[in-house]
Amino acid sequence: MIIKKLIEKVEGEAELNFSFKDKKIDNVDINFSFFRGVENILVGKAPQDALVITPRVCGICNHAHLIASVRAIEDGYRSVGLEVNLTKKANDIREFTLACELIQNHIKWLYLTILPQLEKLLDHPSEENYALKASYLSSIITKALAIFAGQWPHSSYAVVGGVTCDPTYVDVIQAENLIDESIKFFEQAVMGMKIETLLSMDSVLDLPKIGGDFSKVLYLLGSSGMAELGKSHDRFIVFGECLCFKIGKSIPTRVSTIDTRFVKELNQKNSFAKGVTYKDRLFEVGPLARGMISKEPIIKSLHKRYKDSLLTRIFARVYEVGLLLDYSKKILGSLDMSEPSCTFDASTQQPMSFEGVGVVEAARGSLIHKTTVKDGLVSNYEIIVPTQWNLSNGHKEEKGIAVKAMVGLTSIDEASFVFKSFDVCSVCTTQ
Amino acid sequence: MSKPKLLWLQSISCNGNVHSFFNHPDFFSILSNFELIHHPLLDTKYTLEDVFSKKVDCDILVLEGSFKENGLKKHGVEVSEVIEYYSKKVKHIITAGTCATFGGVFKENDPKNISGFAFDREEKTIRYETYASKLISLPGCPIHPKWLSFVLLMLSKNKKIVLDEMHRPQELYGITVHTGCSRNEYFEWKVDVKGFGLKEGCLFYEQGCQAPYTKGSCNKILWNDISSKTIAGTPCFGCTEPTFPKENLFSTKTNMGIPSVMPLGVPRRAYLTATGVAKSFKIKRFEEKIINYDN
Repeated sequence: MIIKKLIEKVEGEAELNFSFKDKKIDNVDINFSFFRGVENILVGKAPQDALVITPRVCGICNHAHLIASVRAIEDGYRSVGLEVNLTKKANDIREFTLACELIQNHIKWLYLTILPQLEKLLDHPSEENYALKASYLSSIITKALAIFAGQWPHSSYAVVGGVTCDPTYVDVIQAENLIDESIKFFEQAVMGMKIETLLSMDSVLDLPKIGGDFSKVLYLLGSSGMAELGKSHDRFIVFGECLCFKIGKSIPTRVSTIDTRFVKELNQKNSFAKGVTYKDRLFEVGPLARGMISKEPIIKSLHKRYKDSLLTRIFARVYEVGLLLDYSKKILGSLDMSEPSCTFDASTQQPMSFEGVGVVEAARGSLIHKTTVKDGLVSNYEIIVPTQWNLSNGHKEEKGIAVKAMVGLTSIDEASFVFKSFDVCSVCTTQ
Repeated sequence: MSKPKLLWLQSISCNGNVHSFFNHPDFFSILSNFELIHHPLLDTKYTLEDVFSKKVDCDILVLEGSFKENGLKKHGVEVSEVIEYYSKKVKHIITAGTCATFGGVFKENDPKNISGFAFDREEKTIRYETYASKLISLPGCPIHPKWLSFVLLMLSKNKKIVLDEMHRPQELYGITVHTGCSRNEYFEWKVDVKGFGLKEGCLFYEQGCQAPYTKGSCNKILWNDISSKTIAGTPCFGCTEPTFPKENLFSTKTNMGIPSVMPLGVPRRAYLTATGVAKSFKIKRFEEKIINYDN
């Protein structure tokens, strides 16, 4: 028996086809039924135009696309012998704006998806306007981002060799203020505890200390027995060298090095989205993977007890907001405005042919851009988005990450919630 | 009095307009003037399936994303058919963003079949005549949150919005993006920026800035209440225009060293005369750094 369900409000829609066997979900076929052709659009354009076009892949993680795309060109330039060295200031500003985007994403996911959906699923209604909280935090953190990047969404302020902005300490002080406001919100509304206390937690025994709105999630997952649902292959991968994350793979807890040459895309029937593997195996990307590979003590402790379950996955994403706020504050505190913003003069040095790869950690995991330039124009562009890792249908030997997490459940509503715990982005998947 | 019913419908989109508007600092007070029928992010009374089964009633339609007549289906129904169904019912249609208004970035993948709802770049589509009387165009990639809130609140108060020939509110698009740019002095005296990452200099001469001939109020009503592309040293890419996206977005096309597209409405001869005068003086202040951190 196959039951079709259209999941909406996941940055677009996804269609899930559930197959049941003995009243349990036996397989799920995940379909994204449209494709927008952003890679095609870039062919024949100037390589730098990708900095304007690729953010338009996604309204919620556009900034990560910008950073991946500038890194791809920079990598290509270096591969033909040009020197592209960013100042600490330029690099830190890029890190800061990227961190802001991840924070807005995670907070929206918590308040627009996880809390309301979980309360609905467990019939535990509250009168809270969670969306109001999401909008509040999102408007202040993107304001901090826009101080440097000009605007959010769809900034193109990262260019080869640095950033286009030339901020002053007036800007830095305003950004610091907005980060302090975001930290206050996170401490008081989300976690009910100081950020330092949160970041020093190292054991599941500390979880009851958490208050705020997140304690409702922990309570609902714990009391309903859902905490341990949603386990998958227990394999993680992080490619993007950025923010406070380490790169590598973790199977399940043994961390080792990786190389993007072993990444392979798979065509999938019935879906416009491609799957992706590393050495032919499926890996989970995103905050849980980042926590595992960076060996965050509290994530390791949760994983030891609950493995790669719903609880660990949700916790890792919300916890990451704390890590990123702390990291952002440190960056702003050490910015030196006397350093140049951009050290490369693209008007005098423009190689006509090159190939480059740009990798970054987006909200949902590793994002890879590959650009191939011939005779001064893009001849091929490839984008591998995080959701291709988490939401593919897998291959002959292995089920996809989210599919495996849903298999064995008895309720479609529960399975849909597990699906959403991966923070689904339909528009990215169908770029 | 009952509140106007608002429906936000998407076709080929990146979700950027919905996220841009969600950042509005007064988002919920604006929405409190409406009954929200369906929205891509917020929890609503009706599901997308209800909307697609044409069960719901609405007064204002916000359209996001490029339009495609055939081949984009949701719930087994062509999205274009659903858009036209509600377009007939509503009192106002707002095309939110450049994709819905003119076709935008996503048009480029299939230029023959993808367009805006009532315009295909500068041309009117076959739908234009039918819906012209209720059409409001709000181009921008993405839409500016405050431009949309202005239009929604004017509609909720039954106030008339003065539109231009492409149905854009004149109060928002009557000026160019150049108006209010922090680099205006450099434009006046024709001093170009000496590379990216500098606050001194104008981006019009080499970096591809289209602000002097792009309609929009990005530098009057700031982005995220704080900045804009040109303030942050990024050229304006003309994202509100029917021609967006053009090519070679980071360099200015020139003719004998002079930008080949003139500031909006300025005759080439007038521009050359003004440039000649401005360039005949060397003004020390415009050649210097504004802030010297070594002092």
